[in-house]
Amino acid sequence: MNSLGYLLAALTPYHVALALGGVVAGTVVGSLPGLTATMAVAVLIPVTFSMEPASALILMGAIYTGAIYGGAYAAILLNTPGTPSAIATTFDGFPMAKRGDGDLAITLACIASVCGGLVGAVFLLSLAPPLANVALAFGPVEYFWLAILGLTLISALSQGNLLKGLIGACFGLLLSCIGVAEISADVRLTFGSQTLLGGIEVVSALIGLYCVPVLIDLVATPDRHLKVEEASRGFRLREALNISWRSKFNLARSSVIGTLVGILPGAGGSIAGLVAYSEARRSSKQQERFGGGAPEGVQATESANNATVGGGFIPTLVLGIPGTPPDAVILGALLIQGVRTGPNLFTEHGSIVYVFIWGLLLATVLMLPTGLLIGRYAYRSIVTVPKAMLVPTVAFMTLIGTYSIRNSVSDVVIMTILGVLGWVLGRFGFSASPIVLGLILGSIAEQGFVQGWIIGAAADNLWGQFFGRPISLGIFAFILLSLFSPLLLNRLRVKREFARAD
Amino acid sequence: MFTSKKRGIFTALAAALALTASVASAEYPEKPISYVIPFGPGGESDITARHQQAFFKKKFGQDLVISYKPGGGGAVGWSQLNDMPGDGYNIMGINLPHIIVKPLQKDVGFKTDELALIYMFHYTPDAVVVSDDSPFKTLQDVIDHAKSNPGKITFSGSGKGTANHLAQVTFDKLAGVKTTYVAFKGTGASVTALLGNQVTGQWGYTSVGAKHADKVRLLAVAMEQRHPRFPDVPTFKELGFDIVSGAYRGIAVPNSTPENVREKLSSMIGQINADPAFKQKMENDGFALVDVDYKGMKAFMDEKRQAYVAAAKEAGVIK
Amino acid sequence: MRADPASRDIGGMVVAAVFVLVGVLALWDTLDYADADSYVFPRTVAGSLIVFCIASIVWNLARPPDRVQRGPESTMRRVGLVIVLLVAALSMPYLGFLLSGLAAFMAIMLLAMYDPWTRARVFVYPLVGTAIVLGFYFLFNKVLLVPLPAGRLFTG
Repeated sequence: MNSLGYLLAALTPYHVALALGGVVAGTVVGSLPGLTATMAVAVLIPVTFSMEPASALILMGAIYTGAIYGGAYAAILLNTPGTPSAIATTFDGFPMAKRGDGDLAITLACIASVCGGLVGAVFLLSLAPPLANVALAFGPVEYFWLAILGLTLISALSQGNLLKGLIGACFGLLLSCIGVAEISADVRLTFGSQTLLGGIEVVSALIGLYCVPVLIDLVATPDRHLKVEEASRGFRLREALNISWRSKFNLARSSVIGTLVGILPGAGGSIAGLVAYSEARRSSKQQERFGGGAPEGVQATESANNATVGGGFIPTLVLGIPGTPPDAVILGALLIQGVRTGPNLFTEHGSIVYVFIWGLLLATVLMLPTGLLIGRYAYRSIVTVPKAMLVPTVAFMTLIGTYSIRNSVSDVVIMTILGVLGWVLGRFGFSASPIVLGLILGSIAEQGFVQGWIIGAAADNLWGQFFGRPISLGIFAFILLSLFSPLLLNRLRVKREFARAD
Repeated sequence: MFTSKKRGIFTALAAALALTASVASAEYPEKPISYVIPFGPGGESDITARHQQAFFKKKFGQDLVISYKPGGGGAVGWSQLNDMPGDGYNIMGINLPHIIVKPLQKDVGFKTDELALIYMFHYTPDAVVVSDDSPFKTLQDVIDHAKSNPGKITFSGSGKGTANHLAQVTFDKLAGVKTTYVAFKGTGASVTALLGNQVTGQWGYTSVGAKHADKVRLLAVAMEQRHPRFPDVPTFKELGFDIVSGAYRGIAVPNSTPENVREKLSSMIGQINADPAFKQKMENDGFALVDVDYKGMKAFMDEKRQAYVAAAKEAGVIK
Repeated sequence: MRADPASRDIGGMVVAAVFVLVGVLALWDTLDYADADSYVFPRTVAGSLIVFCIASIVWNLARPPDRVQRGPESTMRRVGLVIVLLVAALSMPYLGFLLSGLAAFMAIMLLAMYDPWTRARVFVYPLVGTAIVLGFYFLFNKVLLVPLPAGRLFTG
């Protein structure tokens, strides 16, 4: 079959219905904090037993991509990233919503997600086998430096000063050690508590550290949650399209970053949005607007995180190495169906892979109308619902969502306590993002470090292992740049202001 | 949070109530059975349970509803198993050597003997894996190289105190060599390190050979007989090393579950194992079926415990 | 902006001092780990945490930043919300998710209510609230097959 044939096979009414249903379900799932794409896809596995592999893949891929976009709603309207990949969406999305531009932010996020999703899927369609080697080029040491890069980026980005960011990051890294160690099986930092044995789950920490402080502040005052404009302004689609066109380079760059970083198994999905965000800020002429409601910030993160969907499928399908947790579930479903992944999949089973990729593209395009509609509905309900209904509903969602991630009551307790901690720390200028990133990247950094150390020691070349590999050195250079560029810029700005004052 | 004693009383009460209500009926199972996997979705424990899921529905007309309770390398799930109602509608996956080694390391909320195991349905045999372009063609090549370069050969593997790690320690001892074991988080990460040539080889599983057939080569498998999917790969026994090991997976029930239900469940799992189509699917994925039923469990566990504890002491993961 | 000595970031320094204690506690916990692989990382991190905290305190003493002004707020309601969430979590295994969740929903609704309770609201709000809780319960428990706690006090 040629590519036109695959395209037509993807466009059957059955597949269009699957893609549409998947995207809608995924968007709804993603918009509820605590409901993850992983869960939604896992629930569907028994359903896919009776489906053709390509159809099953289209359904699961559509849910996945919809869920990543749906995560933008909670990030923008409630300051709560449902997945780590949406953390940087809160930086500018929530300030936009606060000042009454939540509808615009959601429409921008939808357009950006579609762009990112398309770029990621096109890369998957055209360059998957060669790009998969990126995943193999990253050894333990590269992952170690990548994690450190993620931590320095977030420390430098978060409001307040760099030192407070670094303190938060270190605290998050310590949190990541709690529980039974993933590799060595030692029980660490639980101080005898059974509640802490399973460690701190990332999504419940996200809900606790981001959502609970918002709730705590919501009950404290009679003010409205978000500023509301009286007249309805529709989707503000024209305005959003104009903004998107103006930042087309930002969208393109972020989508490519998302795809490439998304290829890296484990770490990619979490930090792709962050890398794209900080690149967008670096190349912007008005850096000071970032963090205070700059549309470019939302666009960068949202295009990058939807690009990771396509990016993550690259190692999953080519190497059988899942890029993200939902990829792992999808891979498992394929194995049960007897489909072997690998380079052969692309050459011998084109009718599965290419039909799926066209289906993913189709689902991404369908996300534009459905995303705008559902987004509009989400915005209206958050804005119009009276506080006495909004707060208990969101609070109830944090309870049920946190429980459902690991079916664990302990996680609910931990979520609440982290929420209080996040609120207190926030009052004193320590933001939640470095803590969460520390928690996410802690195990990656630790494993990379320990493995690199053991391998380096076995080869009698520790220095070469950590500082002698080209990719490591490249990442290391980025770390230095992101650590010291804010300091330098600050100094320049202070100098300029003094000059003006004189 | 709550003391386990209190929990125990509650469960006992609940179980007593439940028993009178449901179990006595001959139609068991008359509603879907909840099957908890104490790991995340997408791993081997999940995939093998999913294989069973399809056959269970076909044979017994009821759904196996799979859910996940990950955390602490399985400890979170196992420590809560005995709090679940023992009505025959709650079962949980269990893994060896995890349930033997973990409780001996530290207090992880459960003891091996507290788990009511009813069936071991398969194991994933350990195997030495190298990438396709590796200069090592046979296990002897590896041993020769290791003898002249002690400690220089690096093997990736999944975790410490695991089947991979204990097999590596046992092999080093039997072959009189010293190799370096690099623990990764799970088999996926350890295969990635192998494919990226970050390590010399991998202490992996036969399932790695099945999943990455075009990229890797198995040098030896830790089975009694050769694996049907890899007829050309010798066993360690053939090569003179007495290693038959791997990650065993089975099913446990809350310890309040009555004997007749345990036996019934045990024979149901056995019937699935006996289905040739199931066997075919599992072996295609590189797994190997075993049949340890409820009656044979004690002898099996006693034997395994001895071997695992000895290896774990050797490996230094328990004192 | 000119720094005012009166607006030194006392809170930030107190938090940093607390984090120094956290770091020391973590270091103390690492003393009984069996495996070198498991203590290298937490020790390094705890050490860095302590260094950054001390640096932050010194930095604060050297050049104090300004403080943010805050409006009148109700601490009682804040504390109330946190307590309700915790009680809901801890009572879940006994009362069951549905009952705990429903009770928490109603309690938080009272905490978040700033408008007068008109007769219509007294009826409509609890009804809508119950519908929301039941709806989510159904979605998670029946559609997504999440085994929500049933409550040991009532079920067998």
